[in-house]
Amino acid sequence: MAEGIVQVAAVLILGAILLAVTRLVLGPTLIDRVVAIDVLTIVSISLIVLYAHVSGRFVYIDVALVYGLLSFLAVLAIARFLEKGL
Amino acid sequence: MLELLLLAVCAGILISGLLAVCLNNLVAAMVSSGLAGLLASVTFLLLAAPDVAMAEAAIGSGLTTFIFIYALRHAGNGEREP
Repeated sequence: MAEGIVQVAAVLILGAILLAVTRLVLGPTLIDRVVAIDVLTIVSISLIVLYAHVSGRFVYIDVALVYGLLSFLAVLAIARFLEKGL
Repeated sequence: MLELLLLAVCAGILISGLLAVCLNNLVAAMVSSGLAGLLASVTFLLLAAPDVAMAEAAIGSGLTTFIFIYALRHAGNGEREP
Protein backbone atom coordinates (compact mmCIF):
# COMPACT_ATOMS: atom_id res chain seq x y z
CA MET A 1 0.00 0.00 0.00
CA ALA A 2 2.69 2.49 1.02
CA GLU A 3 4.80 1.50 -1.97
CA GLY A 4 1.85 2.18 -4.23
CA ILE A 5 1.37 5.62 -2.73
CA VAL A 6 5.07 6.43 -3.23
CA GLN A 7 4.93 5.32 -6.85
CA VAL A 8 1.81 7.36 -7.55
CA ALA A 9 3.52 10.40 -5.98
CA ALA A 10 6.61 9.85 -8.13
CA VAL A 11 4.49 9.66 -11.29
CA LEU A 12 2.63 12.84 -10.30
CA ILE A 13 5.91 14.67 -9.66
CA LEU A 14 7.28 13.51 -13.00
CA GLY A 15 4.18 14.75 -14.81
CA ALA A 16 4.32 18.08 -12.99
CA ILE A 17 7.97 18.56 -13.95
CA LEU A 18 7.21 17.80 -17.59
CA LEU A 19 4.20 20.14 -17.72
CA ALA A 20 6.03 23.01 -16.00
CA VAL A 21 9.08 22.66 -18.25
CA THR A 22 6.74 22.69 -21.26
CA ARG A 23 5.21 25.94 -20.06
CA LEU A 24 8.70 27.32 -19.45
CA VAL A 25 9.76 26.55 -23.00
CA LEU A 26 6.54 27.59 -24.75
CA GLY A 27 5.51 30.48 -22.50
CA PRO A 28 4.93 33.54 -24.65
CA THR A 29 5.28 36.11 -21.90
CA LEU A 30 7.69 36.55 -19.00
CA ILE A 31 4.92 36.04 -16.44
CA ASP A 32 4.30 32.49 -17.71
CA ARG A 33 7.95 31.63 -17.23
CA VAL A 34 8.07 33.12 -13.73
CA VAL A 35 4.99 31.12 -12.70
CA ALA A 36 6.53 28.00 -14.27
CA ILE A 37 9.72 28.42 -12.24
CA ASP A 38 7.65 28.90 -9.08
CA VAL A 39 5.76 25.67 -9.78
CA LEU A 40 9.07 23.90 -10.42
CA THR A 41 10.38 25.11 -7.06
CA ILE A 42 7.42 23.65 -5.18
CA VAL A 43 7.65 20.41 -7.16
CA SER A 44 11.37 20.21 -6.34
CA ILE A 45 10.62 20.57 -2.62
CA SER A 46 8.10 17.74 -2.80
CA LEU A 47 10.60 15.64 -4.77
CA ILE A 48 13.24 16.19 -2.07
CA VAL A 49 10.83 15.15 0.69
CA LEU A 50 9.74 12.07 -1.29
CA TYR A 51 13.37 11.08 -1.80
CA ALA A 52 14.06 11.55 1.92
CA HIS A 53 11.23 9.13 2.65
CA VAL A 54 12.29 6.58 0.05
CA SER A 55 15.99 6.56 0.93
CA GLY A 56 15.34 6.71 4.69
CA ARG A 57 17.79 9.56 5.29
CA PHE A 58 15.93 12.27 7.11
CA VAL A 59 18.84 14.72 6.86
CA TYR A 60 17.46 15.52 3.43
CA ILE A 61 14.37 17.15 4.94
CA ASP A 62 16.66 19.95 6.20
CA VAL A 63 17.55 20.69 2.58
CA ALA A 64 13.86 20.91 1.73
CA LEU A 65 13.43 23.30 4.64
CA VAL A 66 16.22 25.62 3.47
CA TYR A 67 14.81 25.40 -0.02
CA GLY A 68 11.36 26.43 1.10
CA LEU A 69 12.75 29.32 3.10
CA LEU A 70 14.82 30.71 0.24
CA SER A 71 12.93 29.82 -2.91
CA PHE A 72 10.52 32.74 -2.81
CA LEU A 73 13.40 35.22 -3.06
CA ALA A 74 13.98 35.00 -6.83
CA VAL A 75 10.28 35.25 -7.68
CA LEU A 76 9.89 38.18 -5.31
CA ALA A 77 12.87 39.99 -6.87
CA ILE A 78 11.50 39.48 -10.39
CA ALA A 79 8.04 40.64 -9.35
CA ARG A 80 9.47 43.78 -7.79
CA PHE A 81 11.54 44.36 -10.93
CA LEU A 82 8.50 44.04 -13.18
CA GLU A 83 6.67 46.65 -11.12
CA LYS A 84 9.74 48.96 -11.35
CA GLY A 85 10.10 48.93 -7.60
CA LEU A 86 13.48 47.36 -6.88
CA MET B 1 11.49 5.17 -10.75
CA LEU B 2 14.00 7.47 -9.08
CA GLU B 3 16.40 7.01 -11.98
CA LEU B 4 13.61 8.23 -14.25
CA LEU B 5 13.12 11.26 -12.00
CA LEU B 6 16.87 11.93 -12.08
CA LEU B 7 16.78 11.79 -15.88
CA ALA B 8 13.84 14.21 -15.96
CA VAL B 9 15.67 16.65 -13.68
CA CYS B 10 18.83 16.44 -15.79
CA ALA B 11 16.79 17.06 -18.94
CA GLY B 12 15.35 20.10 -17.18
CA ILE B 13 18.88 21.40 -16.49
CA LEU B 14 19.76 20.96 -20.16
CA ILE B 15 16.61 22.68 -21.41
CA SER B 16 16.95 25.61 -19.01
CA GLY B 17 20.61 26.09 -19.94
CA LEU B 18 19.71 26.18 -23.62
CA LEU B 19 16.91 28.64 -22.90
CA ALA B 20 19.24 30.86 -20.88
CA VAL B 21 21.52 31.11 -23.92
CA CYS B 22 18.84 31.41 -26.61
CA LEU B 23 16.21 33.73 -25.12
CA ASN B 24 16.15 37.35 -26.20
CA ASN B 25 14.50 38.79 -23.12
CA LEU B 26 17.17 39.27 -20.44
CA VAL B 27 14.89 38.73 -17.45
CA ALA B 28 13.59 35.48 -18.95
CA ALA B 29 17.18 34.35 -19.47
CA MET B 30 17.85 35.11 -15.79
CA VAL B 31 14.82 33.05 -14.77
CA SER B 32 16.10 30.15 -16.84
CA SER B 33 19.57 30.43 -15.34
CA GLY B 34 18.08 30.39 -11.84
CA LEU B 35 16.11 27.32 -12.79
CA ALA B 36 19.33 25.60 -13.88
CA GLY B 37 20.81 26.24 -10.42
CA LEU B 38 17.64 25.01 -8.71
CA LEU B 39 17.52 21.75 -10.63
CA ALA B 40 21.28 21.27 -10.19
CA SER B 41 20.67 21.46 -6.45
CA VAL B 42 18.02 18.73 -6.71
CA THR B 43 20.48 16.63 -8.71
CA PHE B 44 23.14 17.06 -6.01
CA LEU B 45 20.64 15.85 -3.45
CA LEU B 46 19.63 12.83 -5.52
CA LEU B 47 23.33 11.97 -5.85
CA ALA B 48 23.61 11.93 -2.02
CA ALA B 49 25.34 15.26 -1.29
CA PRO B 50 22.88 17.20 0.90
CA ASP B 51 25.34 19.86 2.12
CA VAL B 52 26.34 20.81 -1.43
CA ALA B 53 22.65 20.89 -2.32
CA MET B 54 21.93 23.25 0.56
CA ALA B 55 24.73 25.67 -0.46
CA GLU B 56 23.63 25.54 -4.10
CA ALA B 57 20.02 26.22 -3.13
CA ALA B 58 21.01 29.22 -1.03
CA ILE B 59 23.53 30.78 -3.42
CA GLY B 60 22.85 29.48 -6.90
CA SER B 61 19.10 29.75 -6.94
CA GLY B 62 18.25 32.64 -4.63
CA LEU B 63 21.15 35.04 -4.39
CA THR B 64 22.34 34.87 -8.01
CA THR B 65 18.96 35.82 -9.48
CA PHE B 66 18.59 38.62 -6.95
CA ILE B 67 22.03 40.06 -7.80
CA PHE B 68 21.36 39.73 -11.55
CA ILE B 69 18.08 41.62 -11.21
CA TYR B 70 19.76 44.30 -9.11
CA ALA B 71 22.55 44.70 -11.68
CA LEU B 72 20.06 44.84 -14.56
CA ARG B 73 18.07 47.49 -12.75
CA HIS B 74 21.18 49.65 -12.42
CA ALA B 75 22.60 48.99 -15.87
CA GLY B 76 19.52 49.77 -17.94
CA ASN B 77 17.52 47.27 -19.92
CA GLY B 78 20.43 45.71 -21.77
CA GLU B 79 20.07 47.87 -24.84
CA ARG B 80 23.23 49.14 -26.39
CA GLU B 81 23.87 52.83 -26.75
CA PRO B 82 23.69 53.80 -30.43
